[in-house]
Amino acid sequence: MTTDEPPITISILGAGQGGTAMLESFLNLPHIRLLGIADKNPHALGFRLARLHNIPTTSHPLKLIQEDTVNLIIDVTGDPTLPPFIAEHKHSSAEVLGGTAAKVLLELIQHQTFIQTQLFQSEKLASLGTFASGIAHDINNPLYIILAMAEEIREENHLERIREHATSIYEAAQRIQAISRNITDYVRTSSHQELESIDLHARLEEALSISRFATKFREITVQKDYQNGLAIQGKPEEILQVFINLITNAIHAMEEKGSLTISTSHSNGLVQIAISDTGSGISAQNLQKIFNPFFSTKPKGKGTGLGLYNVKTIVKKYQGEIQVESEEGKGTTFRLSFPSIPPISPLKEMVSSEQP
Amino acid sequence: MAETTAAMFGGHKTNGLVLVVDDEPDVRKVVRMTLEKAGYDVIEAEDGEKAIQEVQKGENPLMLDVIISDIRMPKINGVEAINYFQQQYPRVPLIVLTGFPDMEMATGFLKKGIVDYLVKPVEKEKLIKSVATAMEKRDLNRL
Ligand SMILES: Nc1ncnc2c1ncn2[C@@H]1O[C@H](COP(=O)(O)OP(=O)(O)OP(=O)(O)O)[C@@H](O)[C@H]1O
Ligand SMILES: [Mg+2]
Repeated sequence: MTTDEPPITISILGAGQGGTAMLESFLNLPHIRLLGIADKNPHALGFRLARLHNIPTTSHPLKLIQEDTVNLIIDVTGDPTLPPFIAEHKHSSAEVLGGTAAKVLLELIQHQTFIQTQLFQSEKLASLGTFASGIAHDINNPLYIILAMAEEIREENHLERIREHATSIYEAAQRIQAISRNITDYVRTSSHQELESIDLHARLEEALSISRFATKFREITVQKDYQNGLAIQGKPEEILQVFINLITNAIHAMEEKGSLTISTSHSNGLVQIAISDTGSGISAQNLQKIFNPFFSTKPKGKGTGLGLYNVKTIVKKYQGEIQVESEEGKGTTFRLSFPSIPPISPLKEMVSSEQP
Repeated sequence: MAETTAAMFGGHKTNGLVLVVDDEPDVRKVVRMTLEKAGYDVIEAEDGEKAIQEVQKGENPLMLDVIISDIRMPKINGVEAINYFQQQYPRVPLIVLTGFPDMEMATGFLKKGIVDYLVKPVEKEKLIKSVATAMEKRDLNRL
C-alpha cells in the first residue's frame, strides 16, 4: 500500500477499553500517525500499549487538542464536559469524532478484531493437524511405559524393583505432562492476549520444543546464534506461531539429516531473525507460491498449506517483513525483521510510568 | 546384556531369543519384562545400527528367533533396519512396535511380510501372542 499523501494525524482522548481498541487497530494502519493518547487515569489500559510504541501518553488532554498538526481528534471518553472544551481549544483545521460516530467506529473495530481472532484460531487449529501424529508418537511411548510398569507392580513383591518401576512411571508421566502443557499453551485462546514486549529467545526456544513434536529431531543439529536482549512487540501467541511454522517447515524439508540454524541480530531499529535449513530447498517456480493460502507440496493430510500464509499475515500485522532465499538441494533461509523495542523489565516499566 | 548372552550359550532351554530395538531404555525394559515372563530370552539394541551389530555378533543371526523394532529412531531408523534385516536374514520374522499409529505404513509393512504392526501402548497378551505367531513362522521358515 503506497500513496503520496501525507499520513493522517490522530489524537485519541480516552485510554480505556474503547481508546485501547482504537489505538490497537490504528497501529496496524500505515497511513495513520498517532500524536498521542490522553486519559485522566494515569494507569489507563491503553497507556501501556502506547508506550510500547513510543506514542506519547498524558493525563492532560489540552496539549493533544491544541496541537496544530492534528487532523482528527477522537473522543471516546464519554465525558459530557469534553466536547465543548475540545471545540473551544482545537485548531480550526482539526476535525472531531465523538459521541455516536465514535461509538459506531468502535463497534466496527471490535467486530473486525473478533472476526480476525476467529479466523486466526481456526487456522491455528488447522495447522495443529500436522502435529497430531507426532504428538501421538511422543505420548504413546511414555504411556506404554506407565501402563506396563503399573501392571508389573501389581504382581511384584520385591520392594527394590517396585521402587524402580515407580520411578520409571513417574518420569514417563512427567514427559506426558510436559507435552500436554506445550499443547495447551499452543491452543490456548489468544483472544484476550494483549500486546506485550516479547522476549524473542524465550519464544524461539518454546517454538523449538513444540516443533519437536511435529517431527522427531533425528539427525538434525540445531545451531543458535542469538544476540542478547532483543525484544519486539506483539501477541506472544502469534509470534510463537510464526516461529513454530518456520521451524516445522525447516525440519520437514530436511527429512532426516541436516542442520537448522537460528540467528538473531539487531540493526537500524530492526530486529532480524534468520531461520536456515539445509533441506530440500524450493524451486524458483514454487518460491512464488509458498505464501499463498493452501499451497503445499506435502502429501494430503500432512500439510494444510496455511503455515506460511499465517506467518505472513502475522508478520505484516506487526509491520514486519519476511524474505526467503532458497537453493534447490541446498537449503532455505527465511529472514524476518520487526521494529525493535527496548526490552522491558517490569521494574523499569514502573519507574517510567509517568510521561508528559 | 551379558546375562542373556550367557543364558544363550549356557544351554538352558527357552521359548526363543528375541531382539528388541527401541531408542528408549524403559520401553526395552518393559518389553523385556513381558517376554522374559513368557519364557523368552531378550537382547536389546538402541537403534538400527546397534541392532545390525548385535545380530552380526557371534552366533546371534543363527540363534535369533524374532526381531521387534520401533520405526522412528536416530541413526539408522527402523524402516531402514527392517529392510536390512529382511534382506540379510529373511528367515527371522519381524514385528514393528511403534507409538506411531499410521494405517498406511502398517499396511505397507504387512504387505512386505512383517508379522505384526503393534502400536504402543500394546497389551501384554497381544505382544506375547504376536511373538508366538512369529515363532511359528520362524519354525516354518526353518523347515
Ligand atoms: N524451509 C523450507 N524448505 C523447503 N520448502 C519449504 C520450506 N518452507 C516451506 N516450504 C514449501 O512451502 C510450502 C508451503 O508451506 P506452508 O507452511 O504454507 O504449508 P505446509 O508446510 O505445506 O503445510 P502446514 O504448514 O499446514 O504443515 C510447503 O509445502 C513446502 O513446499
Ligand atoms: Mg508449514
